Amino acid sequence: MEGFFPQVVFTIFGIPIRDTVVSTWIMMVIIVGAAAMIGRRQPAALEMLVDFLIDTVSSVMGRPAEPYLSFLGALAIFIAVANVIGIVPLVVSPTRDINTPLALALVVFFSVYYFGIRAKGVIGFFKDMASPIFMLPMELISHISRTLSLTLRLFGNIISTELIVAVVFALVPLIAPLPLVAFSMLTGVLQAYIFTVLAAVYIVAGLEAGEPVSAQSSQGVSSQ
Amino acid sequence: MAEMDPGTLITLVTIVTSGIAILLGTLTPAIVEGRAVLKALEGMTRQPEAANDLRTTLLISMALLESTAIYVLLICLVLIFANPLLDRFF
Repeated sequence: MEGFFPQVVFTIFGIPIRDTVVSTWIMMVIIVGAAAMIGRRQPAALEMLVDFLIDTVSSVMGRPAEPYLSFLGALAIFIAVANVIGIVPLVVSPTRDINTPLALALVVFFSVYYFGIRAKGVIGFFKDMASPIFMLPMELISHISRTLSLTLRLFGNIISTELIVAVVFALVPLIAPLPLVAFSMLTGVLQAYIFTVLAAVYIVAGLEAGEPVSAQSSQGVSSQ
Repeated sequence: MAEMDPGTLITLVTIVTSGIAILLGTLTPAIVEGRAVLKALEGMTRQPEAANDLRTTLLISMALLESTAIYVLLICLVLIFANPLLDRFF
């Protein structure tokens, strides 16, 4: 199991750089390059992706997806590529390190406040969140606990599938790990979808806090 | 039973506990997720026009249910690979 968990590769000015950070840099280059190349040659492929994202986000949020699409779409593409890139030899998934899911979950945590304050103003947002006033601590606790659960869900799913692949590879190195690698790709894309949908649910819960429950928003699952 | 030093005893208890924990921690979410899928399928066959909404809600709630199994898995990983109690003896 030595070498399975993230390791420090080199240090810059005393800051240790792990291999997951290096593979994040590789991933950023790949995503930007692929977007530039596909966008010029075959815009239809990008259109399909954007259409799917718009459909999903607007059906989950029950409102037009435009203001949130850039944030949620970037989140979905980043997590999907980060989970899948672990199958490339010598490149590890950035989400294998718990700090990457934690950073993504913190971005979601702050985006709830950002979108809520942008829609309602600072005073309106916190007044809606604290109505009635004794709900304020519970709201804050639920915000922290769902950040933690987003982190642990993404990290646990990725680390579990990679651990299974590693164990099977140690037992039978030849053909046997291949179905599990395919399964880990499926899990990675599914987790990206779930992370994005949950982020949309949390954002819309922050936007609609204090409003009377409408028929449109009743399909959203209550926040954990 | 022969006399065991505390490190061996803690390792033994850790391994047995992790096995039991992963058993119970995956069994219960699996049963509950199966029931959720069953109810969602019943709803989808009864009202096919609501299938899209049901599918989205089903996926979200499955993710929330599955996180309990993930917590158990992470606790088992910590117990096996980074047991804090073993540091007292080695």
